[in-house]
Amino acid sequence: MTTEPTVARRPWKFGPLEILAVGAIVLVVAQPRLVGLFDHPALQAGATVFVSIIVQALPFLVLGVLLSAAIAAFVPREFWQRALPANRVAAVPVAGAAGLLLPGCECASVPVAGSLMARGVTPAAALAFLLSAPAINPIVLVSTFVAFPGQPQMVVARLVASFATAVIMGWLWLRFGRAKWLRMPERSHLQGGSPFHTFRLTASHDFLHAGGFLVVGGLAAAVMNVAMPTEWMESISGNPVLAVLGLALLAVVLSICSEADAFVAASFTSFSLTARLAFLVVGPMIDLKLMSMQVGIFGRAFAWRFAPATFVVAVIMSSLIGWWLLS
Amino acid sequence: MTREVQSIILLLVGIATLRISWGTAYLNFVKESMRPWLLLSGAILVLLGVWLLVDSLRGHPSQEEPEDEDESAGADASESHDHAGPRAAWLLLLPVLTIFLVAPPALGAYSASRDTTNSIATDRSMAPLPAGDPVPLYLSDYVTRAVWDEGRTLVGRSVALTGFVLDQSDGSWLLARLQLTCCAADAFASKVRPINLPSQGVPLTEGTWVTVTGMWVPSEEARSEETIPVLDVTGIEVVDAPTNPYD
Repeated sequence: MTTEPTVARRPWKFGPLEILAVGAIVLVVAQPRLVGLFDHPALQAGATVFVSIIVQALPFLVLGVLLSAAIAAFVPREFWQRALPANRVAAVPVAGAAGLLLPGCECASVPVAGSLMARGVTPAAALAFLLSAPAINPIVLVSTFVAFPGQPQMVVARLVASFATAVIMGWLWLRFGRAKWLRMPERSHLQGGSPFHTFRLTASHDFLHAGGFLVVGGLAAAVMNVAMPTEWMESISGNPVLAVLGLALLAVVLSICSEADAFVAASFTSFSLTARLAFLVVGPMIDLKLMSMQVGIFGRAFAWRFAPATFVVAVIMSSLIGWWLLS
Repeated sequence: MTREVQSIILLLVGIATLRISWGTAYLNFVKESMRPWLLLSGAILVLLGVWLLVDSLRGHPSQEEPEDEDESAGADASESHDHAGPRAAWLLLLPVLTIFLVAPPALGAYSASRDTTNSIATDRSMAPLPAGDPVPLYLSDYVTRAVWDEGRTLVGRSVALTGFVLDQSDGSWLLARLQLTCCAADAFASKVRPINLPSQGVPLTEGTWVTVTGMWVPSEEARSEETIPVLDVTGIEVVDAPTNPYD
């Protein structure tokens, strides 16, 4: 590792710190004009939705980075070798089932999965956990139960279809995945001195990194949220295939937190239960903000393969489970 | 990106989070129950930022991080190596700037007019209305009682509903209010059609908050998720926007 001189000792130059300072002054001076630019109702609604996606995700992201930092700093590597079966094929469903234990939404699971991989957990198992944790944790299952009164089979179908998708994706990765697609999170530079030092470096780094990508996804979702015409929804609800695909795509686009999506799905009453199940299975596993965060944490080569594959498997599994349990 | 800049971004995000959750601005974005979590995560971010800043000012472990392969900044080849660190972190300034400079208002008429579903079907039996004359009700509660319980619990009671004015293309207006499940991205609207409005009154502009008092009357409309129930108005009063703009 190259040790560069500290900033303080370097001759002064116009760096990011100075850009930040000048930028802040300019923006404060120009603020009254800027507010005027946002007078259009659609822009205002977009700004509100954008900030609300970030604000809603923030506590979960903080929880996720604290957990991932704790894994990096305090949990010895050997722990994972003992906790997970040595056989990688068996490790995938075990890791998927561990998703029951992380009570957060999808923003928390991305940094945690990255940290698990960096600590030597086999990527297939970490990916199964990444997909299952936001979909089958207790908070999500309870909110699904509340959102679909009198239809407890929806909870069962969501649990089964999400778990199956996560495990299948893990196994697919074992069979077809290439290590070179996955940019293994590089963390050696974050390890230093005491565990507490590692902890705060990892937490800050992960928050800034994942948070930046969360912003990209939140922005895209906010634009779609206010700009998408609402009429097309009604026109496809009658066709069973289009209905499933339409709601699955809508889940990707809306990027709603997995703890809230059941209530949104419940409101799509003109759609079949199977189509709404697809919305609930796809949303926590793959949406705009998650895709953006996956690009950031695991690299583009990974995300371009993993995201569409997850979408396809999730749609197939929800159609099968929906046909079996909901019709 | 140097440790100093990283710590400043952490501090800014933390301060912005504390700023909106200290007062009531956070209610424009999320549910009230999120408040302790927002305060806590804001404090944690400020703490992390201070910690990192102290670290780098002390000059102690401040070898800079190697360049991250951030795709977002891939085109930015002019970056020299002193700006190492997660460059995507700059993007976190976007919501911070939006909060401080734009101060996004609560969702209102624009979002309400885009939502065509008015109430989700339910077969739960409704509890009787609480005492009070008129009894204040949430708009969503009134809609559910009127449409899916066929007004049984509303007969003979005077209710007071608070919402904002939503203009219709035919010149009339609906009383509307949005409801959140988790955050403003999942907001949905409840709407009520006021009838027999006092003929001479102040013209109401869209988005004005009003409390409308009146009685439920059955409507001929077939009941569906899109049914907008009516309210026979006895009184109307312009009010301040409520602290929590959502139901």
